Amino acid sequence: MSNVFRVPVGDRTWQRRGQSAHSPDAQGDAPRLPGIVAGVLAPHPPHLLYAENPPQNEPRSEGGWEVLRWAYEDLRQRIRAMDVDVIVLHAPHWITMVGHHVNCVPNPRGFSVEPIFPHLLRYEYAFHTDVELAEAIADQAHDDGLVTRKMRNDGVRVDYATITALHLLNPDWDIPVVSLSANNNPYFYSTSSLDQMHVLGESTRKAIESLGRRALVAGSNSLSHLHWDREQGLPEDMTYEHAYNHHQYRWDMRFLELIRQGRTRELRDLIPEHIDETESETKAGSLTWMLSALGWPEGIGEVLAYGTVIGTGNAVCLWDLEKGAR
Amino acid sequence: MSSRTETSPSFAGAVLVPGMPQLLAERPAPAWAGLADGARAAGERLRGAGAETLVVISTQWFTVLGHQVQVDERLTGTRVDENWYDFDYGTMHYDLHTDVALAEQWATEIESAGLEARRTRYEHFPVDTGVILANRLLDPQGGLSIAQVSCNLYAGVEDIATLGRAVVRAAESVGRRVGLVAVTGLSSALTQRWIEPEEDRVEEPTYEEWDRRILGLLADGDVDQVLQLREQYAREAQADSQLRALAFLQGSGQLVGAADVLEYAALWGTGGAVVHWPG
Repeated sequence: MSNVFRVPVGDRTWQRRGQSAHSPDAQGDAPRLPGIVAGVLAPHPPHLLYAENPPQNEPRSEGGWEVLRWAYEDLRQRIRAMDVDVIVLHAPHWITMVGHHVNCVPNPRGFSVEPIFPHLLRYEYAFHTDVELAEAIADQAHDDGLVTRKMRNDGVRVDYATITALHLLNPDWDIPVVSLSANNNPYFYSTSSLDQMHVLGESTRKAIESLGRRALVAGSNSLSHLHWDREQGLPEDMTYEHAYNHHQYRWDMRFLELIRQGRTRELRDLIPEHIDETESETKAGSLTWMLSALGWPEGIGEVLAYGTVIGTGNAVCLWDLEKGAR
Repeated sequence: MSSRTETSPSFAGAVLVPGMPQLLAERPAPAWAGLADGARAAGERLRGAGAETLVVISTQWFTVLGHQVQVDERLTGTRVDENWYDFDYGTMHYDLHTDVALAEQWATEIESAGLEARRTRYEHFPVDTGVILANRLLDPQGGLSIAQVSCNLYAGVEDIATLGRAVVRAAESVGRRVGLVAVTGLSSALTQRWIEPEEDRVEEPTYEEWDRRILGLLADGDVDQVLQLREQYAREAQADSQLRALAFLQGSGQLVGAADVLEYAALWGTGGAVVHWPG
């Protein structure tokens, strides 16, 4: 298996990758190289999908949370320009108690009513899985020592986090998908094994490279995760939307500053502390998985937007490994 | 310890049962079979005491905003569990009849107590594994109706207790005799590998000690002490959803005496128990 596209932690080889293929005036003619093209932090509050009023979703809204949704709009254009073969998503609400599961159903389809937010998300979904890559990720993760399972049962309902993040990244659903579960204990909100998520990220990268896919990896987590326990009458009434408290907000800003400055190595160290301080949803491991798949690249993080949803902190972020090459 | 000595005429008893689907396995571990038998026995007691409706809170229908009360008259479908889908017990057909009059009155009582009660009535709503399992074991003939409330993980336990008080008031109001059901595990150190049924054991010895301590207190009739230990239990033995489902039962004000611990056993490394309080 080639390691050509492997990006070791913090060594800035992402820059060499882009620059080696292009002269400075060659933008727009980037060769279509295989491997992971970019990683995104793609939060999944169903409120964002609800606010978009897509035809697949039954409830109707008056909008709301526009700044986050505009960031997704911007991100969608950039993803389109990346011309990827597949989106690989790790999301925390396909909770698997034992092991890391990979959805290997070729064409998941169904109607997903969200038990936590049924008034916001009742969505008719249909998408295509890159089954070859899904199986390769499961096999590689198994070889790397993780407990895994290939999910082939088309009766399993696709969860709201997977649907919301994928819809917001690509509402046309015309890019094949690989969906990974979050191995967590649903009954006790302990921090997932971030070490395992790191391994899973590396396994994902190896599988993508071995098959020569051109991939976007998306980790779907909110940041600070304390929120209200009651809802106002109109969910999209933005007069009630603000950070849960100053402490949560400050910690999210500290977190995002590191992303903006590209200090990924320090970010890796901060993730557990941020979890302890804010109950950050990154404890489910999706962000760690994604950045591990990217190789914890230094110097390229972008924060496209930050906003709160029922008091939780949410940021749309991008790590574009080919930045400057397109 | 509770000082009440009389129960409501609308109270037919209460049970605490686990929600792991292994209890329905075609080839169960002896531990799983024991728990299933215990749950069936508890169901017989509820039905024998004249229960007409099972009032269920399941930690597997967890919510985060307000409290949802299921008011859909009939819930039917097939549940494929997102973790156990490859096992015979991972696919469950269900056909549940909601006691709509009770559920509606319950929602009203919850609101009267100052809490948010969202009435939930959506086609294709995914009924959770715990509710289906409990209903099948407690009421194998399907003769009882059901009322369900979600388990809000962000609400204080005093709010969860209010839900229990509210449903007794609602049952009295509509003239229904109810069995209260908490679907919850105890300690939750899941075994992180695929095991054969006979390999199952509580993963952490200290967790089992905690489980047995809690069950001993319940058998002594000291629910209040258990609730005082709840947070410590959660920290030190990963109690399922911080054992808030017990607060629901206690909030009803009907757990007036000693509980009967019918069974305790391992469920994929977690602790599972069947506990009954008489009406």
